[in-house]
Amino acid sequence: MEILTDLFRKMPGGDGMSDQALLITGAVVMATLMFIVMALCAIIFTWMERKVAGFIQNRYGPMRTGRWHGWAQAVADMLKILGKEDIIPAEAHKWLFMTGPILVLLGSLLAWAAIPWAPGFVAADLDLGLFYIFAVSSLVILGLLMSGWASNNKWALYGAARGAAQMISYEIPLALATIPVVMATGSLNTQDIVIAQQGGIWNWNINPVHNPFLFIAFVMYFIASIAETNRGPFDMPETESELVAGYHTEYTGMRFAFFFLSEYANLFLVSLIASMVFLGGWWAPLPFLDGIVPPAITFIIKGVVMVFLNMWIRWTLPRVRVDQLMHLCWKVMIPVSLISVVGAGFWMILFNQV
Amino acid sequence: MEQKDIYELLAEKIGAAALGFTEAGVEPWADVAPDGIAAAALFLRDDARLQFNQLMCLSGLDWDGYDENGKGKSVAILGYNDDGSVESSDRVGEGDLGVAYHLYSHELKHKFTLRVRVPRATPNVPTVSTVWATAGWHEREAWDMLGIHFPGHQDLRRMLLEESWVGHPLRKDYQMPEQWDGVQLKGENLIANPFPVTEPDPVDNSAGDQPAEG
Amino acid sequence: MATEEHKVTKGWADQDHVGEVKSELLELNMGPQHPATHGVLRLLLHTDGEIVYKVTPVLGYLHRCAEKIAEGVNYKQWVVYSDRFDYLAPMCCNHAYVTAMEKVGGLEVPERAEHIRVAVAELSRIASHLIALATFGLDMGAWTPLLYCFREREEILNLLERISGGRMLYNYMVPGGVRYDIPKDNWVADVLDFITMLENKKLDDYNNLLSYNKIFVERLADVAVLSKEDAFQYGCTGPVLRGSGVQFDCRRDDPYSVYDRFDFDIPVGLGEMGTVGDCWDRYMVRVREIEQSCRIVRQALETLPDGAYQSIELKKIVKAPAGAAYSRTESSKGELGHYIISDGGQTAFRNKVRSPSFCNLQVMEKIGVGLMVSDLVALVGSLDIVLGEIDR
Repeated sequence: MEILTDLFRKMPGGDGMSDQALLITGAVVMATLMFIVMALCAIIFTWMERKVAGFIQNRYGPMRTGRWHGWAQAVADMLKILGKEDIIPAEAHKWLFMTGPILVLLGSLLAWAAIPWAPGFVAADLDLGLFYIFAVSSLVILGLLMSGWASNNKWALYGAARGAAQMISYEIPLALATIPVVMATGSLNTQDIVIAQQGGIWNWNINPVHNPFLFIAFVMYFIASIAETNRGPFDMPETESELVAGYHTEYTGMRFAFFFLSEYANLFLVSLIASMVFLGGWWAPLPFLDGIVPPAITFIIKGVVMVFLNMWIRWTLPRVRVDQLMHLCWKVMIPVSLISVVGAGFWMILFNQV
Repeated sequence: MEQKDIYELLAEKIGAAALGFTEAGVEPWADVAPDGIAAAALFLRDDARLQFNQLMCLSGLDWDGYDENGKGKSVAILGYNDDGSVESSDRVGEGDLGVAYHLYSHELKHKFTLRVRVPRATPNVPTVSTVWATAGWHEREAWDMLGIHFPGHQDLRRMLLEESWVGHPLRKDYQMPEQWDGVQLKGENLIANPFPVTEPDPVDNSAGDQPAEG
Repeated sequence: MATEEHKVTKGWADQDHVGEVKSELLELNMGPQHPATHGVLRLLLHTDGEIVYKVTPVLGYLHRCAEKIAEGVNYKQWVVYSDRFDYLAPMCCNHAYVTAMEKVGGLEVPERAEHIRVAVAELSRIASHLIALATFGLDMGAWTPLLYCFREREEILNLLERISGGRMLYNYMVPGGVRYDIPKDNWVADVLDFITMLENKKLDDYNNLLSYNKIFVERLADVAVLSKEDAFQYGCTGPVLRGSGVQFDCRRDDPYSVYDRFDFDIPVGLGEMGTVGDCWDRYMVRVREIEQSCRIVRQALETLPDGAYQSIELKKIVKAPAGAAYSRTESSKGELGHYIISDGGQTAFRNKVRSPSFCNLQVMEKIGVGLMVSDLVALVGSLDIVLGEIDR
């Protein structure tokens, strides 16, 4: 945020502002920016999901709204959803019902504060950056449980129970998988993690030649991130064919839109984290491109590629059953993640990378 | 094995309850008295020469008005008169009810047909659901549609209609009730018909139903 | 309905100071409106967490009194109702009814009509199995095979529209033949092209994408195993019975129409991925049956004789002499039979429809116990039921 505060100081009248005021203004601007980006990403990724799904399924996606490949479909959907009636079931616990989606959205949104978009351009330059991200995204689980319970609907409860179990379980391999990177970098600060990967694709953390355990960690992270966002083969909590819509069955209108928004915000978030931690953040694959393409654009492009990968997997694979899902997490992914942590450490000591 | 021979074996087993075997017609069948059906079923399933391990079909029947040439009309569900009243059946409900069993043996690849007739006043046919589990649902449907009671059935309740429905629709003397659950089922046209009913123009169908050439 | 008290006697209860933990079974409705129940089927579940302790199907939401109507309209008019039973393979239902009616009535059917009937019935069977695969994949979370299968089904629907005028419900067969002859616009060649494409390319597509996918197999292998004895007891037929290893097919073991002239195999469940009779076996039987149906269509159309396509002109009245007969055919879901009692007139005295899905569904009460809710969905999908048939 130093960039912003410097900017404000340079503006007319900026000299007279106290540090406090500057900080608050900067924070507000940053938060608004994040919110706008998140809303945009939800709109763009809704459209992208439908197009990707369409092409995988041998059909076009939206083609009409907005003339060119239906780009305005998501906008139309958002407008439509805003116009829907807000129904709260009579027997539902009103307060929890209303707060649930807010927490879900909050959990996704708060984590964006520590994402480094460009050198120096991060909303909150925390030394605990990565840790903060994982900690704060746990709020989603709380919101999910609240929604499922408050709906007064047994199927929603099923969805919430499954979702909570799944998300809590998969946070472990998710976080464990990033520890080798933290060890390699020596810092939890997200900016440092990206800066350490300077120098083109060879220096990215994913490079198996430098440290194969980091590559294994990347695979673990990717799979755990799919499960963490309740997508793809791990969408048990919201399986349309079993639970109608899982924990958000009873939600209509804008509240449902919150869930929707948060799903795509979460998706983009974990993709950005993957890009940041393993794929070099804002550094371009070839060093000479760093001057040509703005770093934020490179970063976003990497995020979009990971999102595309995520969508590709979702529309190809069938669903994993709940107990198989838990088995996968606890008996397969956590041991492998732990092995990758220990192995990465040994490798680094062995090859003097510390 | 021929159906006639199967009947001979059956008659040996259940004696007087085997009422006869009819061969004329497309498909022969055996008549069995109701009190013999339980023993017959077990025998047919378990005997090594017969091994009828699958009950293909269990049909409830209403023989009211059955004769070779004319039968009274039963009420077709869509039979409404012009004034909106339901076309009513002129059957008074005197005939027997019955059940037909069609059996098949997967091992020995032969078939057999059994029929049971019971009086309308006391339509009790002992259940065969303990012999062939599939009869569980078929008998429930026979009860639902025709009112045939199956003593010994564990769970004899309506299958396709609501529990609160009155009457057994497939009976020949079934009259549509006036209303059910607050919904009027009879009476003048319940929905105003915007298109008056007129006599349609005569159509020349002498060419038969043929699609256009080319 | 009262919930049952269910004692959980697991580890906790073994410790004296904790005592027994009492809990109730959760009574859930997989209601008439549900994306996974393949129609308006209501499943009343009693579950303990994810495990189902009791499942009770509640039927009747699609009851349309077809058997009563059979006593009010004449034999020719009732064909249109037979379509509505298994509306995913309506030609098979047509075929079942007209075969039964002709057996009772002693009607002759010309050779050409028989071949056409077999061809369209098998095309309908392929369409129905495609939907079975598609919706089964969908229930398991694979969204893409749905679109792929529907793409092929669309072709079949177009072909059948050309011959009968309807896309989904045809009213095509009549007692004594078929309603229209094959259209003169290259229909046979188009069907053979389609069959070739399906055999050579598409089945591999489905197998690569879905059938051998590890996640799919893990979901279905060893799930809801139906033993041979249970299958016989519950009157299961069709792919459900064949999935349990029994090689029984009405087309071969009780031949009707001209099936005895054609050469085709009867795929059965072999327990390749798990146990014989599990969900995957039933699924795979359907995939392999598509192949066999393609063979039959090809043979039926390549040996199509010339001649009349109906033995009774549509205007004539069709009567059947007094008598009764049960006739069964192999519909895509199993053995579809009609027990028709005639009294000498134009209208049936009694027409009892023996529907395969009705018997297949009953098996759920037995093998649905002890499954998880997700497995229950797999079971319903693998039984491939159609509510139109069950409720009639």
